[in-house]
Amino acid sequence: MKDLARLRTAIKESVELALNQQIQMEMVSSSKYLAMAGWCDRNGLDHCAGFFYKQSDEERHHAMKLFHYLCDQGATAYSPEVPAVAQEFDSLRSVFEGALEQEVSVTDSINRIIGICRRESDYATEELLKWYVKEQMEEEYIARRCLELIDQIPSDQIYYLDKKLASVTYDGNVFDE
Amino acid sequence: MTSNVPTTYQEVFRTDKGVVYQCDASYRLILEFWNTRTQFSARDFAHFRRMVETIDIRQMALSTAASDDVEILTLPRSERCYVLTLCEIVHLRELLNGAKLMLDLNSMLRECGCTLPQPA
Ligand SMILES: [Fe+2]
Ligand SMILES: [Fe+2]
Repeated sequence: MKDLARLRTAIKESVELALNQQIQMEMVSSSKYLAMAGWCDRNGLDHCAGFFYKQSDEERHHAMKLFHYLCDQGATAYSPEVPAVAQEFDSLRSVFEGALEQEVSVTDSINRIIGICRRESDYATEELLKWYVKEQMEEEYIARRCLELIDQIPSDQIYYLDKKLASVTYDGNVFDE
Repeated sequence: MTSNVPTTYQEVFRTDKGVVYQCDASYRLILEFWNTRTQFSARDFAHFRRMVETIDIRQMALSTAASDDVEILTLPRSERCYVLTLCEIVHLRELLNGAKLMLDLNSMLRECGCTLPQPA
């Protein structure tokens, strides 16, 4: 008997399901960052607003990368439902705390999917997800570094803090070498 | 219904309520249930199985609203639909999940270089 599912796609159903859930998670991240950008923007934190607008775009890009991958492999990608996200925050610190928490849950999710790939011997998808592993290292580093700066810079130097936070990058990723 | 089965159809899984066949010539899976035969591509079959799998049968069982007595499923790429009672959903699930198990087994055998013996 022919293996019809395999002839259609190399992606197993469990991996397809997990990647679709990841697409949704990235789109939720995108929506959350957009809300953070809006909050910063209306509270006069222009640089942080710019930082989060860019983050929001990047998360959408992460989702699209998976979306195209599924389509190219003959699997089915679903445009996800994105539920309502928080629009208001208590402070700049709570914004960055939210960002770090979101990145941690994304990292956990990526690791979980790699586990599924290994169980299913799906090395192509695992290879793709390596990019996400590296990306998550950077994103977690940046969110953590921002929280450190918020603690280190006196809270009355808001203009300086705003500028400084938006300039945080991660240049030292050991995987880049 | 089961009487006039085309020779290209191979039985994948059977319960006393229905059968799933595979036709290697047309790359189709054929669901025979409730005196109807429906052909699916592999993709649509998986999609349809998920549709049946995700019906909230708890809600159907608990609700007294008439609209919760049946579930209407539109078949992928077709104008036809199934109107299913709770009981039929349970039977259909059993059939589709059994078929999935056999198809997965067929995949596993292919992966390790074996094939199921062709029926005579
Ligand atoms: Fe992301
Ligand atoms: Fe991220």
